[in-house]
Amino acid sequence: MQEWKGVRCIKTNNEKGCALCDATWGEYYRDIEGERTFFCCNICADIFESMVNNVKKRTGWGFIDYINLEGNYNRGRECEARSGDKIYRYYFRTYGDGRMMKFEDR
Amino acid sequence: MVSCPVCYESHSQGDFYSLSTHFLKMAKKSDYSHVSWLNRNIVKYRVSEEDLEKRLERFYSLDGKGLKRWIIDDFVKIFRGDNPHPFILAMQKYDVNLLKGYVIEHHHFLKQWIKSCAYVIAKSDYDEIHDYELENIITEMQGVGKNEPSHHELLIQMGISLGLTRDEILNAKPLPATKKAVDLWNRIGRDRTWIETMVAMHSLELIANRDLGRYGAKYPYFDPEILKSDKVTSQVKAFLKEGYEADVSHSYVALDLIEKYGKEEEMEDIQSAYLVSSRAFSDYLDARMERGEMYKNKQ
Repeated sequence: MQEWKGVRCIKTNNEKGCALCDATWGEYYRDIEGERTFFCCNICADIFESMVNNVKKRTGWGFIDYINLEGNYNRGRECEARSGDKIYRYYFRTYGDGRMMKFEDR
Repeated sequence: MVSCPVCYESHSQGDFYSLSTHFLKMAKKSDYSHVSWLNRNIVKYRVSEEDLEKRLERFYSLDGKGLKRWIIDDFVKIFRGDNPHPFILAMQKYDVNLLKGYVIEHHHFLKQWIKSCAYVIAKSDYDEIHDYELENIITEMQGVGKNEPSHHELLIQMGISLGLTRDEILNAKPLPATKKAVDLWNRIGRDRTWIETMVAMHSLELIANRDLGRYGAKYPYFDPEILKSDKVTSQVKAFLKEGYEADVSHSYVALDLIEKYGKEEEMEDIQSAYLVSSRAFSDYLDARMERGEMYKNKQ
């Protein structure tokens, strides 16, 4: 788990700020899988939440320990999720308003 | 005046401190549009008011390179640089559904295009500007006789060759992102000066300019191999070819005119108009992709 402003969050490689994009602007929090998580804005929170739901649905996992995200809004994001010793790789990209445009297994 | 590149809120000329304060206020509210603009254009990590003021001032600085080059550099970075717009990436292969989406949304763009050109004509007094915009209206929507169909007609023919009908193209409602962008371009034409309107629209023509490689563009507008492929309809080729084979200098003419007639005290207004317009254009390109996905999912 990582902490941001004293609260516990799901661990990602974005260690400085927003769980999705790492930006430290904004002051938006949302409960993700029961944990209060920091985001720079509600759209990043929507995207992250939708991504987590997609991963759980596709893998059948009950929980996710860690997500590594590489990329950005334009290119989309290549990701690796871990749950215990299991690994799932995927790619996703969204529209400007946060709706999922593409979610693919890798 | 320098206006916010996101919401177009006006601040006094050169008052980047006020603009910085505005951005910090919106970031504190976690406003997506302002936060994402800061992330993509200025800095991802929170900085002080003074630091942000300096960074914004630097961002707007023409730095001796002039307005035209400032616009080209920014446009290339946003749309066709190392990290191109996803529509540009999608256009690197032939995709019928994507092109159908292009047709449906672009119809609305072109309808607004000629209205914006007309605003420029109505609000300016220069013959050179009138001639330029009149020629644009004719090329885009009227055409010259049967041998030179308008860009709009070529678009419709491309759509029909891909399986759409003329009625479907002319009667489809725009997706929300297209509607929002078209409304913005119309507001700029109605409420702002002719030169702001001109830069808001004609800067967008850079999207298809094949000369941008020398300014750092890493991707063409589309894969030119499409023009040689047997799988591609002649109507698709005719539409794409028009932009591709046009004299590359054509895309720069409007920027040259804007640089020629733009007064020193108007520079920030012109830059702001370009910035809000290119942001709307990015969302509009997303709408072309979204419409394409809708056609794909219908199959």
